[in-house]
Amino acid sequence: MIQHLLDGILVGSILSLGAIGLTLVMHTLRFANFSHAELLSVGAYAALVFDGLFGAFYSQLRSTIEPLSLTWSLILAILFAMIVTGLSAILIDKLVFRRIREKGDELSMVFASFGVAMVVRNLISLLFGLKSQLFSNDIAFAIVISRDPMILVKPDQVFVLIASLLVMLLFHLVLSRTTFGYALQAVAENPVLAQITGVNLSRMFRMIWLIGGSLAALSGIFYGLNNQINPVIGRDLVLPIFAATIAGGIGSVYGAVLGGFLVGIASNLALMILPSGYSPAVPFLIILGVLILRPNGILGEARA
Amino acid sequence: MFVRFFKSFRCLRQALLLGMVGFSSTLYAQNCTTKIGAVLPTSVDWGRPIAATAQFAVDLANEAGGVAGCQVEMVLRDTQVDPKVGVDAAKALVDLEKVPVLLGAVSSGVTIPILTSVAVPAGVMEVSCCSSSTKITALAEEGKTKGLWFRTFATSGVQAAVGTMLARDQGYKSVVVLYKNDDWGQDISKLTVRSMKSLGINVTNSIAINDGQASYRAEVTEALKGNPEGIYMALYPKEGISVVREWLSLGGSQKMIMANSMKSDELKDSVGLKYLKNALGTDTASPRVESASKFVEMYKARFNSEPNGPGLANSFDATMIALLAMEAAGPNASGTQIAAQVGKVTDPKGTPITADTAGFKKAKEILNSGGSVMYQGATGNVRFDANGDVSAPAVAWSFTESGTKEERYITLDEVDAFMATMQ
Repeated sequence: MIQHLLDGILVGSILSLGAIGLTLVMHTLRFANFSHAELLSVGAYAALVFDGLFGAFYSQLRSTIEPLSLTWSLILAILFAMIVTGLSAILIDKLVFRRIREKGDELSMVFASFGVAMVVRNLISLLFGLKSQLFSNDIAFAIVISRDPMILVKPDQVFVLIASLLVMLLFHLVLSRTTFGYALQAVAENPVLAQITGVNLSRMFRMIWLIGGSLAALSGIFYGLNNQINPVIGRDLVLPIFAATIAGGIGSVYGAVLGGFLVGIASNLALMILPSGYSPAVPFLIILGVLILRPNGILGEARA
Repeated sequence: MFVRFFKSFRCLRQALLLGMVGFSSTLYAQNCTTKIGAVLPTSVDWGRPIAATAQFAVDLANEAGGVAGCQVEMVLRDTQVDPKVGVDAAKALVDLEKVPVLLGAVSSGVTIPILTSVAVPAGVMEVSCCSSSTKITALAEEGKTKGLWFRTFATSGVQAAVGTMLARDQGYKSVVVLYKNDDWGQDISKLTVRSMKSLGINVTNSIAINDGQASYRAEVTEALKGNPEGIYMALYPKEGISVVREWLSLGGSQKMIMANSMKSDELKDSVGLKYLKNALGTDTASPRVESASKFVEMYKARFNSEPNGPGLANSFDATMIALLAMEAAGPNASGTQIAAQVGKVTDPKGTPITADTAGFKKAKEILNSGGSVMYQGATGNVRFDANGDVSAPAVAWSFTESGTKEERYITLDEVDAFMATMQ
């Protein structure tokens, strides 16, 4: 029970990071972006490339940080990958979404996002192949926290959880303590009104893509650390991330965090009562349950 | 443009086929043609060689003078690996071409609907080269195949039995079973659990693994409950990598048994050879007999390549046995009459015959004089059980630096004897 709860929190933190970006984009740009999860793959592969580069040039960076399986070069690579992924999100917007936003309606954007997802996924497979890859081939062994009940924790998991929580806290401070954060919230609430009060709308849109993209990259890298890196990360995670976003309430950053943990924990706990073949259905049951009880999501508000 | 190109391609192919038929019929002038149907996935690249191998067997029989006094024409239709397309194709062959025998299909999901909704109702014999699902065995046991069904590919039961045999030989007292959550995985895990239990090996749990999950920790945590001594896995490499790494990192046992699907370099590299020292795998194999090596030679002479694709030896034998049974049944026989003769051409007490033109000629003589023959083909001495299933030899393999190596070859007799002890 406690073990499942712990594992659920870990998976939840990965989903939350992905859901924050999605909820921001869905709320401000008013469309369901099905290509968001592909940014997770972009981030994971970018980190893989930077990790390889840094490791090759500065061999002292290749040493692992005990007791983690992470290397210093990977830590550096994470930062670079976040920037690169954020920039690619801006680029995708510039190439595709902005053009459609100017001419088409929200539905066209949704369809375009499906197309973007396909293109990105296949570009990644073309560049890196379909093979699964890993940041480190070594297996990080779990540490026994308690024997009765049996509780096992991997150091990497603790790192991922703490790092995710720190990033979320940082983002919370930015949102609630800075002018930029207020502007961001204003744009999310009502772009036209925000523009009237002097907020540079196109700059804010770029910032939203940058933040969403870099958080997605972090989520993808953490997924890769915990699991493996392959070109279908986006396809595999798009539904749980959507479930987290919808359950939390579209537009609510805190809701997204909550939704991520909810989906992660519920999928893990479900295994205690359901046969494992049914666990992929759990996120959908959560969406249904939440929408029946609170049609706008747990922390979402009805849009005027 | 594309359509026109496609059409002209089709015309060309038809012309070629007609040319071939014309060519062979001028060589062996006979005044009748018997048709047999083939429903195979020729639109996928691994399906075409299966069809070509079936045609190869037909050509050999025609060189020996055809069956029951007539030249044989194989009418080939594509299934596109789609049950609906396959059923339509089989229906057309049975209703329009009036074939008494259908060769195919490959995927169990296509074979089963053809068998139940076309072949059995029409009294047509169906021989598959490649379907392994034990669902068909169950159908046969319920009497729903009416003795019209045969396959030359071993069921998943063989691999499940060999996995159990390895667990027993390694002395594992308790094993947890993890399986891919699809038709194949469910089938093989059910069989493995059953055979392990019958040998007194404690199966602590059997857990379905869905592909594309964010984490497999919950599944692995469940699997660790009850401290199983060993782990049996019927997974595909992608989830296999995540599951095995998770399993090891949580302190799971390195005593692993894996199905053939996990015979993958990707898996070996991602998990690390040092953790796979005690991992053993299972797979079915071609028998190490003269007739099997002879097929390889014949295949190379005809196609200028090794018969490495899936189901080639099996397709050859399926076709040969169908043709021999047609010969034994005599002219204008129905599917039921032909199916009834299969025992006579795969009779362990019969005269051994080789799988070539000379062997076919010899078989014709013996069958016409009322004797029985033992067909020795590409998959050895084919012997069907009461449900139309065959058994096959198996291999145990392990991982090495360069890939995998064979640990042990388990002969057909050993497999059969072992499976018999479990019933």
